[in-house]
Amino acid sequence: MHIMEGFLPWEWCLLWWLVAIPFLVLGIVELRSMMRKDREYLPLLGVCGAFIFILSALKLPSVTGSCSHPTGTGLSTMCFGVFITSIVGAIVLLFQALLLAHGGLSTMGANMVSMAIGGPIAGYAVYRLLKDTKVNIYVTVFLVTAVADLVTYVITSFELALAYPAQVGGILASFEAFFAIFAITQVPLAIVEGCVLALVFKYIVALKPEILIKLNVFSEDQIIGAHRNDKAVSLAEG
Amino acid sequence: MIMIQNYKLEIITVVAVLAFVVLFLMVSAGGSHEFSGSDDVGSQKIAELTGHPVESFSPVIPQYEPPSGEIESTLFALQASFGGLVLGLVFGYWFGQRKSSLTT
Repeated sequence: MHIMEGFLPWEWCLLWWLVAIPFLVLGIVELRSMMRKDREYLPLLGVCGAFIFILSALKLPSVTGSCSHPTGTGLSTMCFGVFITSIVGAIVLLFQALLLAHGGLSTMGANMVSMAIGGPIAGYAVYRLLKDTKVNIYVTVFLVTAVADLVTYVITSFELALAYPAQVGGILASFEAFFAIFAITQVPLAIVEGCVLALVFKYIVALKPEILIKLNVFSEDQIIGAHRNDKAVSLAEG
Repeated sequence: MIMIQNYKLEIITVVAVLAFVVLFLMVSAGGSHEFSGSDDVGSQKIAELTGHPVESFSPVIPQYEPPSGEIESTLFALQASFGGLVLGLVFGYWFGQRKSSLTT
């Protein structure tokens, strides 16, 4: 989903950087106030960040015959919100821009808007929609991560379509072309990523339910219910 | 039956990963796919739309490029292993915490 260095006209680089900066500033503010309040959250932030690191390093082959990587931003979005996630995403993108020539400093604004901001916002919307409903919490985690992943690539397609409208058919035609490259490739990856992160969430519920309750990721009843459900079955089995 | 309920999520995930692998095998068996990165395919599309060759897009800000695929894969492995390290550390820490709180 990286837009390569040099492949975006400078006006668009500037615009996307300007969109991204407020999110980074708010992210730093939130991160600082959270750290001052309670350092207990740091391990969970580590886990969320670690998944963004791991998953965005894995380039997986897909049905379209090209490779792409998941983003892993959904978990962090649910636990810490969009702004802190944008910081973690920005760190990964900076690493890849500086050392791997995947994306670049000028296009980093656009890449942040898609992976570290836009995807998480879409995931957060799904999360808020499902949070206090009867939907199983693992299904919610699955949907949030899959949507955050997929929307990231839709936004990349959109950014490129705006910068490079097709001569015939304009922005829409070129959006379709980029969508076919980025988003279709991403569908199976998003599904697998959703399953994996739902599983990880199950382990966090098993080991550290109190931190999820304290952050109010889900209500106490939901977390305890899921915890008891997993545990009761394993006791019955043993 | 009880076992299946307990490991429901694990089983679903394994099935999803297996389906993914099978899909990959089917795609790669049925034709000449290069499995190049979608980033590069996207860049080619830009070249096609603008009519300028891919080589004519030069970096706006000069950047380091890994000299070979080997070095690139090292750096990617480094990125993933750093994530794995943190993950193992935290889960181990929580696991230990939980165990000691259960015994005391």
